[in-house]
Order: sequence, then structure tokens, then C-alpha cells
Amino acid sequence: MRTIDDITRPLDYLPPAAQILMPILRNWADNEVIPYRRQYDEDWEHHKLIHAPGKKLLGEYGIQKLLFPVDLGGMGFGESDYAFTSMFILGEEMARADSGLAVGLGATLWPLMSIALKPHVNRRLLEEFAPLYCDTTEMICGALCMTEPQGGADIENVDLLKGSTIQTTAVKDGDEWVINGHKLWPTNTGGMADLLAVVCTTNPGSTDPNDVALIFCYNDTPGVTQSGPYEKAGMACDKNGDVWLENVRVPLWYRAHGPGLDALFFKDLMSLGNGVIISFTSGVMMNIYEKLLDFVNETKFRGLPLKENDAVAGVLADYAATLEIVRIIGYQAARMLDRSDLYGDRWSSEMMAKMRSYRYFTMDRALEVIGKVMNLMEAYGADRDHDVEKHWRDIKMNQLWLGGKQLCQIEAARWFFECETL
Amino acid sequence: MSDQDLFAYPRGRLQAADLDLAASLQAMVQKEVMDKRLELKEDYDGLLKPSLARLMAEVGLQKMFWPEKLGGEEHNEPEAAYTVAAALEQIGRADVGLAFLAAHSLALQAAIAAKDSYREELCAAVAPLFCEGNRPLIVSFVLPAMSQDGGAPEWRGKGIQVRAKSGPDGWTLTGKAVRPTCSGADAGLFGVLCAVEGEEPAFILVPGDSPGISRGQEFKKTGLAASRNADLDFKGVKVPAANCAWRGEEGFLNLLSWFYLGLAAAGVGALLADYEIIKEWGDNRVIKGRGQVFKENPLTAALMGEIAKEIAVDRLLAYNLADILSDPQAYGDDGPLAVFTSALMLVHHIYVSAEYTIHRTMELMASAGYAKEWQLERYWRDVKTVQCYLGAYELAKHDFARWFYHTKTL
Repeated sequence: MRTIDDITRPLDYLPPAAQILMPILRNWADNEVIPYRRQYDEDWEHHKLIHAPGKKLLGEYGIQKLLFPVDLGGMGFGESDYAFTSMFILGEEMARADSGLAVGLGATLWPLMSIALKPHVNRRLLEEFAPLYCDTTEMICGALCMTEPQGGADIENVDLLKGSTIQTTAVKDGDEWVINGHKLWPTNTGGMADLLAVVCTTNPGSTDPNDVALIFCYNDTPGVTQSGPYEKAGMACDKNGDVWLENVRVPLWYRAHGPGLDALFFKDLMSLGNGVIISFTSGVMMNIYEKLLDFVNETKFRGLPLKENDAVAGVLADYAATLEIVRIIGYQAARMLDRSDLYGDRWSSEMMAKMRSYRYFTMDRALEVIGKVMNLMEAYGADRDHDVEKHWRDIKMNQLWLGGKQLCQIEAARWFFECETL
Repeated sequence: MSDQDLFAYPRGRLQAADLDLAASLQAMVQKEVMDKRLELKEDYDGLLKPSLARLMAEVGLQKMFWPEKLGGEEHNEPEAAYTVAAALEQIGRADVGLAFLAAHSLALQAAIAAKDSYREELCAAVAPLFCEGNRPLIVSFVLPAMSQDGGAPEWRGKGIQVRAKSGPDGWTLTGKAVRPTCSGADAGLFGVLCAVEGEEPAFILVPGDSPGISRGQEFKKTGLAASRNADLDFKGVKVPAANCAWRGEEGFLNLLSWFYLGLAAAGVGALLADYEIIKEWGDNRVIKGRGQVFKENPLTAALMGEIAKEIAVDRLLAYNLADILSDPQAYGDDGPLAVFTSALMLVHHIYVSAEYTIHRTMELMASAGYAKEWQLERYWRDVKTVQCYLGAYELAKHDFARWFYHTKTL
């Protein structure tokens, strides 16, 4: 019988650690998440159930140490040529179980990518944060705080707006930054985040990239307040809320890199975020494939297994073809992020446009076929006990965060067609 | 002109009473459902159950078709199809699940109490459930479904979930792990298509309190919170012979056609709500940091235009289905199969379109599209759930092909 391991992946892109990483992750998903995930929707606010698998993977298995250098207690993936293909495997296996969990756990690493990935490593900040992440088996959560109440995805629209709409300010006062502002929706807020990376401006309204600042602060720094989480259509494992920063003081060296570089590497985070989301799509589709395989084998139409009906087979073929393509595109994107020597800087407008393109293309196709699968399953498609509907809700949300579809389209058009005013 | 009137519908075909009903329902559901849902969310006991009681029992939707002598309102002419459309789009605008439940009741009433399909003995037996007192009666159907039982008798390829035997004392029904279309946990009356060995299927009405019915635990589903669904077992359930509404296909196709009209209107209601939400967003959201109002951006405006186009077309289609049901002769009078095929096509078209449209709206609203606070996501979940309960679109296409191409083996 076919299994998800029959779905193609580009074997020549696999990291050396894949054979170790994959069984651990598969085992974690099958034993720590999948048996419990049907109860997660009701756990969105307090994470009484959801906390345990997060702690196991991030804290006990040490995934939260992934990007830190080995000499600081980490796993050294920040310096690896396989960082993103590894993260693709991580994202895919997590999302196969629960893509909300994948977003939450993955987003812990996201702000650290601004300071831990070659070639822009900030050793001093890594030394500062390593004890928090590496000297514990507790789960540590990071949050990248971008979106603000005004303008939504404007802040992610770096090439057009160049940080001019950022209203969270960072003002130098002696050897400290003083941060004031209000952020909405960061993953792992709603009370979870231990460490925040805050996108700020040092000169409100400026379009000078030198004025964009990415500054870290701990959640327990005076002046940082997180609201409770918002209630959403799905992705219960990913808490999102408001973050208020009122006269938050941090050392000057908590800024990721400095004038110009912060804006540049913020674009890196955009490319990486868009690329990694594809792994969530692929993981979700793999699990739906497992569920669908069971359904069309066990359910009868005209006395035969449903899959033996030609019209149904057409839908199944669309699903399988989309899964194959999504996975291949995802691995290709990951490999492009790993090999900037071949494909160019991750933070270039070209790479950002391409990652946005891959992301929205794969999301659109996935949602289209997942919607058809739900419908094919009739009443059982909407039944939580069959798991597909949860993935459908969750993956829709994955399509919409980090700028949503229209920003993906604009950035793709802007680069590929050299638009000048979009 | 109100926002809803921007979307054309054959206003001239509706009676003054239909327009009044629609207007009063619009105001009522705004006050009693929409204005409370930020606080009460999808609370069944706090919001949905009392709203259902108000609509079905107090407003009287569950009394609509029954003759006056049985306590009904005797609004049972074919033109009642317009009333169904006008009422259910307003209810669907507030909550698709409430409209989904009302669609069951109205379809059953139309199928057995409409003037041209009136079944006297059956109406006398079941009308009191609808008309006596002020209790809401939830109607649910048990329809053919794909099943794991390869040997089940079939209707158009799908397994008939319940078997019935007729005897001197009436009908005896058996079925295990039966999945109804709604409210398995609450329904007071089930309309069940039953397989009868060696004979044509029978559509039998089964009161929810009949001995031998056991209800499973309510299961969680994507949407339609107003419908607390659960699987059922029928263990030798006995009902009087008069509870058989009809044998064979004709009555069943008529029931389904009316059911699809209700669902079509409910879907249009969801789309009217979708329009209100995206209109407010488009009017007030400012993007690109230059004070550009959202709706003035060419990319987002194009999508908003497409959303409006889909809603406009879907509304016309829903009312067109009402027109077909109100006067089938005007459409060629090709019999119930022709009407059923039209109804099935239109309702699937509307739900494919509704899913597409709400997806696009969510994409425009990004995180606000899936946050419960903005309300859009509940329509998205509800519409998708109705679409699932409608049945697989790929298999419905066989019904289209069967009619248009005279296929013989599908």
C-alpha cells in the first residue's frame, strides 16, 4: 500500500542529518500530537494540552537550539549549507501533525534567523540569548513583532514603503534604546513569547533604510505587555495577540545589526518566512493524503471503493499531482535559500519575489484541492474526527499571514516585470 | 437604496407579504443574532437555540405551508418558493446554520403540504408537531450517503442508510451509525429515505421520540453550530403506515428540489453578509502608507468587484430557482427530474461560488479574515459545511450528465 514516503522529494537536496531528523520528528508527530490534536481547538486560550508537545520538541529534543553555534550549546545549523532543507523537513513533519503547531514552534526560530544565519551572524547577541534557549529543557518561545494596527501588511512591504509606515519608535537615550509602540498578531504572543524582535523606526515617516531597526527585548523587560490571544478560525497552537511597548529600555547592542543592515536582513526574514510556509503546506497535504487514502479505500460508491470511480479518480489525481508539485517546489525553495552562492542573497528583492511566488502558488493550489477533497468526503469532510477540515482551516490561515496573497502578487509582479509604482 | 438592493433580484415577483417578511426578518436577525454574536459567538444555548425558536415557532416558519384547519398559515401555493428564498437569505445573512435548519423544515412542508402535493392523512398526522404550541420543531433528513457497507441498497450509487419493512402495524426501521443531514442530537422529526426489499424506496417520517432511536454523541464539525449533529441508530423503530410520505423517486426529488432552494438562499444570505463585511473593510482600511483607501487600490478593487459579481449572479440564480419551483410549466414542465436537476446544478453552483467568494474576501482581509472578531470566518466555515452536506460535486455532475446526455450506466 502506498504511503506518504512514496511522495517524491528531491533526494539530492536532502541534508546529511535527514536520516536522523526524520524518524525523530515522525515519531513525535505520531505519538505526541496526532492522538490529541482533535482537542486542540478548544485549547486555544490556555494551551493545557498544546504545551506538552511543544516542550518536548523544542525544549527536550532541543530544536530551539538549532541555530545557535555548537560552542554556545546549539546545533550549529546557522552555519550550515542545509539549514533550510533541514527546516523544510522540520516544518513538513510538524505540519503533518498540526500546521498551527508548526507555525508556533517554527516562529521561535524566526527572529533568531536575523542574527544566527551566515553570513550575518551577531555573535554577541547569540552569546546573550544562548543560555535562555540552550540551557534548559523548557520550551522557549520567540516572536517577530512586525504588524501594527495601521496598514496591516504595509510593514512587510519593504521595497515599496521602505519602513515609512512603521510607528513603533526606537529612540537612543545614552547607551539604551527606548521603544514605544503597539504590535498586532505576532506568532507566539498572546502571553507566550519569552524573547521578542521588534521592527521599529528611529525616524518616523522616513524612507531611509538606515532608520529601520530590528531590536530584541525580553518579555519581562519593564514596559512590555502582551494581551491574551485572539480567537481564530483555527491554528489553535499559534497564539496571536497585541504587544504594547511603553518606554521599553534595552541596551543599544540589542539592535540586530545596525543602520541599513537591519532593513536588509528584515527582508531576509521575509524570504525565509515565505519559503518555510511551503513546508507547512506540504506537511498538511501529506497527512490529508493519508486520510484520503483510507477514506477512498473504505468508502463505497456503487458497491466499489470510492477510488474506483473514474470521476472521483480525477479529483484524486489532482490531489496527488498537486502534492507532488508543492513538495518539489518547497524543496527547491529551501535549497535556493541554502545556496545563496548559486541563487543570490536571500534578502534580495529577487529572492523575496520568488519566495512570495512559490508560496502563493503552492497555497492556492493546495487550498483548491483540499477544498475538493473535503467536498468529496461529503459530511465526513466537515467532521473533525476525519481531520481534513482542521487542516483546511489551518492552511487557509497559513495563506493569509505574513502579508497575505495580494502582497505576494505585488512583490512578484514588481520584480518580474520591473514595475516602478506598485 | 439599501446595500442588499444593490444586488438585483426579481422584486416584482415577490408578494408584498414576502417583502414585509424579509424586511422584518432582516431587522430581527440583526438585533437578535448579529448584534449579539460578538459576545455570544456560536453559543448554542445562549444564541442559536433561542433564535431558532423565535424564527420557527414565533415568527411561524414551521407553520407556513400547513392548512389553516391544522393550525398552519396555509401559504402553500407554488409561489411560496419566493417566500422561502426571501426568508432564508435574510436568515442566512445572520447565520447559515439557522437557515440550514429552516430549509429542512420548509422543504418537508413544501413536499407534503404544498397545494399541488398535499398528502391529507400524513399532514393530519404530523402537522400538530409543527403547529401546536410554541415549541420549535427541528426537522432532519436521512439521505443516501457513501458508506462502508458495500452491500447496502443504493440510490444513484449511494447507500441507503436505513432499511424499512412494512407490516400490519406499520413500518419497522433499522439502521446503524446513520448520519443525518443535521441535528442528530436534537431533531424532533426525521425524514428518512428507506430501502424496502424488492420494492421502491420509501420516504418515511419518524418522530424523534420514537422508541428504538438512539442518538450518539454530538460530533464536532467545521461549521453550522446551530446544527448539533450526531449519528443515530434505528433499532426496530416502529411508525404508522401513514407516516410513509411516498414511494419511489418523484416525491423525493420534489423534496430535494425545495431543500436545495432553501440552501441556495442560505448561501446567498452568507454572501450578502460577506459583502457587508468587505464593504466596510474597503471603505475604512488605509494601505500603502499614503492614505490610500483600500477600495481605491486597483488590485484590491478588482477583487472586490469580482466578489460583488459573484454575489449578484448567485442571487439571481437563487431567485431563478424559486421561479422554476413556483411555475415549472413556464420552464417546459419536463417533470420533477428536470426541476431536480436544475435545483442541484444551481445549488452546487452557488456553493462553489460562495466558497470561492469568501476565500477571496478572506484573502483581502488577511488576518482579520480568520479572526473570529470580524465574523467573516464563520460564514466561510458554514458555507463549506453546507457544501459538504450537499454531497460530492463530482458525483452530482453525474446527475447533470444523466439529464443532459441521457447516460445509461452512471
